Amino acid sequence: MTQVERRDRRHDGQAGAGPTQVSWLAWIASGFGLLLFVGTVGVLGYEGLFRNGGNPVIELSVEDVAHDGRRWHVRIRAENTGGTTGARVRVAGQLLSGATVLETAEAEFDFLPAGSTQRGGLFFERDARAHELRLRVLGYAEP
Amino acid sequence: MTITHQRSILHDEGHVARALARAAAGAVIFGFPLLMTMEMWELGFYMDRFRLALFLLLTLPVLFGLSYYSGFEETFCWQDDLIDALTAFGVGFLVSALMLSVFGILTPDQPMPELVGKIALQTVPASIGAMLARKQLGQKDPPEEERRQRSSYAGELFLMMAGALFVGFNVAPTEEMVLIAFKMSPWHTMGLVLLSVGLLHVFVYTVGFAGQESRGDDAVRDVLLRYTVAGYGIALLVSLYLLWTFERTGGLAPMQLVSAMAVLGFPASLGAATARLIV
Repeated sequence: MTQVERRDRRHDGQAGAGPTQVSWLAWIASGFGLLLFVGTVGVLGYEGLFRNGGNPVIELSVEDVAHDGRRWHVRIRAENTGGTTGARVRVAGQLLSGATVLETAEAEFDFLPAGSTQRGGLFFERDARAHELRLRVLGYAEP
Repeated sequence: MTITHQRSILHDEGHVARALARAAAGAVIFGFPLLMTMEMWELGFYMDRFRLALFLLLTLPVLFGLSYYSGFEETFCWQDDLIDALTAFGVGFLVSALMLSVFGILTPDQPMPELVGKIALQTVPASIGAMLARKQLGQKDPPEEERRQRSSYAGELFLMMAGALFVGFNVAPTEEMVLIAFKMSPWHTMGLVLLSVGLLHVFVYTVGFAGQESRGDDAVRDVLLRYTVAGYGIALLVSLYLLWTFERTGGLAPMQLVSAMAVLGFPASLGAATARLIV
C-alpha cells in the first residue's frame, strides 16, 4: 500500500518535470558498474575456459646475477605456463663445476597461479658467474 | 506540496552524489576486514576462475534483492533496484581496487587476470557493504511500515540468506574454518549445532519477524518451524556454498565436511538471525 502511495506521490511531483526520472549521474554510475561487472565476469570466464585443468608447467630463468658485498645473489623468475596453480613451489639452484655440484641454494614460492610469474632470489657463496648454474623445480603442492 | 517536492528531488544529482558517497563509505567499513585478510588476496588469484565468476554472477541478484529490501537509496521500481545493484557493484569494485592498491597488494607489474581476480573477490563483500550503507549510515528513513509492507515469508528467507552470506563471508576464506573443524570431535560439533540453533531461535524470536502475530506457546513453535529451522538450513547451505567456492571442501572426509559446515554455520546462522538488524 505504502509503496503504491509513494509511487503516486512521485508522479505527482514530477507532473511538470517531464518523463526523465533518473539523474544522469545515476545512469553513469550504474553504467560504469555494468561495465565493470560484465568485464570482470568476462575476464574470469575467459580464463576459466582457456586456462583451466592440466598440470602446473613451471619454467625458471635467471634475471640477474650480482655480488651484494657478502655473497652472490641470483635473481630468478618462475613462470607457470600450465593450467593449474602450484602452491609451495620449491626451486633449487646448483653451481656446477663439470659434473660435480659445488653448492646448492633453495627458494620456495607460496603460490604460482596458472599464467602468472613470481620472482625470488638464490644466494651462493661461490661466484655464480664463473660457474655453470642449473635451476630446478623440486616440487609443488595443490593449494 | 512540500512533501511531493521532496520526493521529486530524490533523483537529482545532489542526492545521487550523496548516495554514492554513502555507498563508498559502506564499502570501506564493511569491506575492510576482508580487504585485510591474507587468504582473500591469495584466493583472488589462485581460486578456480569459474567458481569466482559464478560467485560474482550470484552477487548481482543478492544486491538486487538487498536494494529492494533496504539499499542505499529509496527505490520505487525494479529498474531503480537494478540501477542501484549495478552502482553498488561499481562502487565496491572501485573501493576494493583502491584499498588493495594502497595496501600494496596490487602492483602494476602483475598480469591482468591476477589483478582482476583479486579485485573481483573483494568486490563481493564491498558491494554488499555499499548496499547496506543506507540502513547503517543513512537517516532513519524509510519508515518501518514500508519495509514491513514489502516483506513476505520468501522475503524474510532471502534476508536471512543475505545475512548468513554477509556474516559468514567475513570468516569463510580463512584457514581457521577447516582447522577448527579438525580440532572438534563429533560431540563438539553437535554442541556447536545446538548452540547455533538456540541462538538463532532467541534472536529471531526477540527481533520479531513480520507475519508473526500470534503470541504465547503457539508463537514459539511457529517461529521455531518457520524461521529457526528454515534459517539454520539456509545458513548451512550458504556455508557449504562458501566453503565450495573457496575450495575448502576438496579432499575432506564427509564427517570433516559436516564439521566445517557446522563451524561456518555458526557465524552464518548469527548473520541470518540478525539479518533484520544489519540488512
